[in-house]
Amino acid sequence: MSEIYDIGYRHYDGPRLGRHHTVLALGVHSLRGVFGLGRPARSKIMPFSLAAIMMFPVVVSIATMAMIQQRVGDYSGYAVVMQAVVAIFLASQAPTVVAPDLRHRVLPLYLSRPVTITEYVGAKVAAMTVALFLLVAVPLTVMFVGDLLVDMPGPPPTGEYLGAVTMAAVLAVLLSTVGLALAALTPRRGLGVASVITVYLLSTGAAPMIYAALYESGYRSAGAWGWLINPFWLVDAAQVWLFGSTAHIPDGAYPGGPAPILIVLALIAAAMAVLSARYRKAASQ
Amino acid sequence: MHILAIEGLTKRFPTVTALDRLTVTVGPGVTGLVGANGAGKSTLIKILLGLLPVSEGRAAVLGLDAFTQSAEIRRLVGYMPEHECLPPDVSATELVVHLARMSGLPRTAARERAADVLRHVGLAEERYRPIGGYSTGMKQRVKLAQAIVHDPKLIFLDEPTNGLDPRGRDEMLTLIRRIGTEFGISVLVTSHLLGELERVCDHVIVIDSGRLLRSSAITEFTQATETITVEVEEGADALAGRLAELGQTVTPHGRMLLVKVRGPETYDAVRDATADLDLCLIRLEQGRNRIEDVFRGEAAHV
Ligand SMILES: Nc1ncnc2c1ncn2[C@@H]1O[C@H](COP(=O)(O)OP(=O)(O)O)[C@@H](O)[C@H]1O
Ligand SMILES: [Mg+2]
Repeated sequence: MSEIYDIGYRHYDGPRLGRHHTVLALGVHSLRGVFGLGRPARSKIMPFSLAAIMMFPVVVSIATMAMIQQRVGDYSGYAVVMQAVVAIFLASQAPTVVAPDLRHRVLPLYLSRPVTITEYVGAKVAAMTVALFLLVAVPLTVMFVGDLLVDMPGPPPTGEYLGAVTMAAVLAVLLSTVGLALAALTPRRGLGVASVITVYLLSTGAAPMIYAALYESGYRSAGAWGWLINPFWLVDAAQVWLFGSTAHIPDGAYPGGPAPILIVLALIAAAMAVLSARYRKAASQ
Repeated sequence: MHILAIEGLTKRFPTVTALDRLTVTVGPGVTGLVGANGAGKSTLIKILLGLLPVSEGRAAVLGLDAFTQSAEIRRLVGYMPEHECLPPDVSATELVVHLARMSGLPRTAARERAADVLRHVGLAEERYRPIGGYSTGMKQRVKLAQAIVHDPKLIFLDEPTNGLDPRGRDEMLTLIRRIGTEFGISVLVTSHLLGELERVCDHVIVIDSGRLLRSSAITEFTQATETITVEVEEGADALAGRLAELGQTVTPHGRMLLVKVRGPETYDAVRDATADLDLCLIRLEQGRNRIEDVFRGEAAHV
């Protein structure tokens, strides 16, 4: 022990990488954290089971295409159909990205290094966004590859697939910013999970109720806006306008025009502002 | 070159002025920053790291402007916060490797450096276990390790002995001394206890309510502390007067008198004065040679 202890101090004169390396390293570290990689086995259970559930419709879809030459479900509606699973993934994993550093006051150890608050928050948002994108886009891609391999009659639905993947990216940015903002407001992990899931359930429950209430009382076109309260239907509405896909709602239609995508952008901006304010406060403590 | 050059630095919080026109310079080596709780020590460090905006004044760290070049400064310095700042569910190795990478070290270099510094701070096998199970002493060592993992030129250690038992305190102080000497890293270390820093510091800065009380080499402090403490049952004032007449430097300190030692004649003077005035001598104590005592003496004048 003592002879090991006595090895002299060595200075470091190797390379010191720039900030894009640092931010990339932080992003990758956080992304690995979302999937529990490098963590104990129990941290992997939740993200990987949810990712596995996301593959069920893909398996069913490829099987039916191969056996009865029919498509069940479409690419554009995949995120809406699977929304509960995506929401649970967000609720369970968003707190692991932001809560520990806030709760245990680790932030000063980052901010006393070349990392800035903006880079720190940016890396966290990027990690959660990539995780959610993978969760949705990987099954879509597997389904599309299966579609091509089965060689269904008619041209492959390439346009619809690309539209769905693009909207998966938009959905991932929206969910990660809002989810992380909610999780960052409650440094206790359990509360973070609860707050994200509560907001999701409220929005999902409220959307058809608002729609029905307005529709019944004669405000038929106003009722359409009710659907936009749920983030998955909001992004679906944007997809309808951008890519001409069909609406995946139980009843009625979305309001047309650019309004849904503008609401998405406004929500992302608002969530980023909340995150930035939250971290600026944490940094000055 | 000065390691730190601070000029007229003022920091006002809504209700308190944490730093009040502080002007001081710091050279290489180990420097102690001493002051009571709330004196402004942590605030000063956070400002030097660019973590807090200032109200007025200027500061340079390693010749770089603390307000416009704080990104460069943070490349060259290390920081050990005073509060707990470690996530409990990762191991010391994982954390220190990760933080080395956050300082810009490539992956392999980060691993090597982390293993090196964890060994230097004395964390052996336990470094692979989650930090949550560590003792306070081990946690303080991890905090110190992350502060030096990127081989900084200067480190800010905020109350590193906080919460440690006497033995842990001793080991931490020895480690700090080694970092300042063998490792060749300049150190600014804070404490609210004056006495504990004298062993490890080359220089001590004393602040109070954000104002500079004193900044001097440790040798000046200890030289100035050649005093004896005299306590009499009654007539301390008369004794002080008589000693002054005899050419001694006397500072009243509560019921006691602190007398500066000029040589053997000081002891003679105390003996003669008490005998002449027929006073009852309760205590005659040799100066304890502690910077604490100097500080008390100085504080009495402030
Ligand atoms: N973020 C803050 N907001 C308001 N007041 C603060 C803040 N941080 C420190 N202070 C005040 O500034 C003064 C100096 O604090 P600090 O630098 O922590 O002292 P020290 O580290 O010497 O104990 C104290 O009166 C403290 O209450
Ligand atoms: Mg302090």
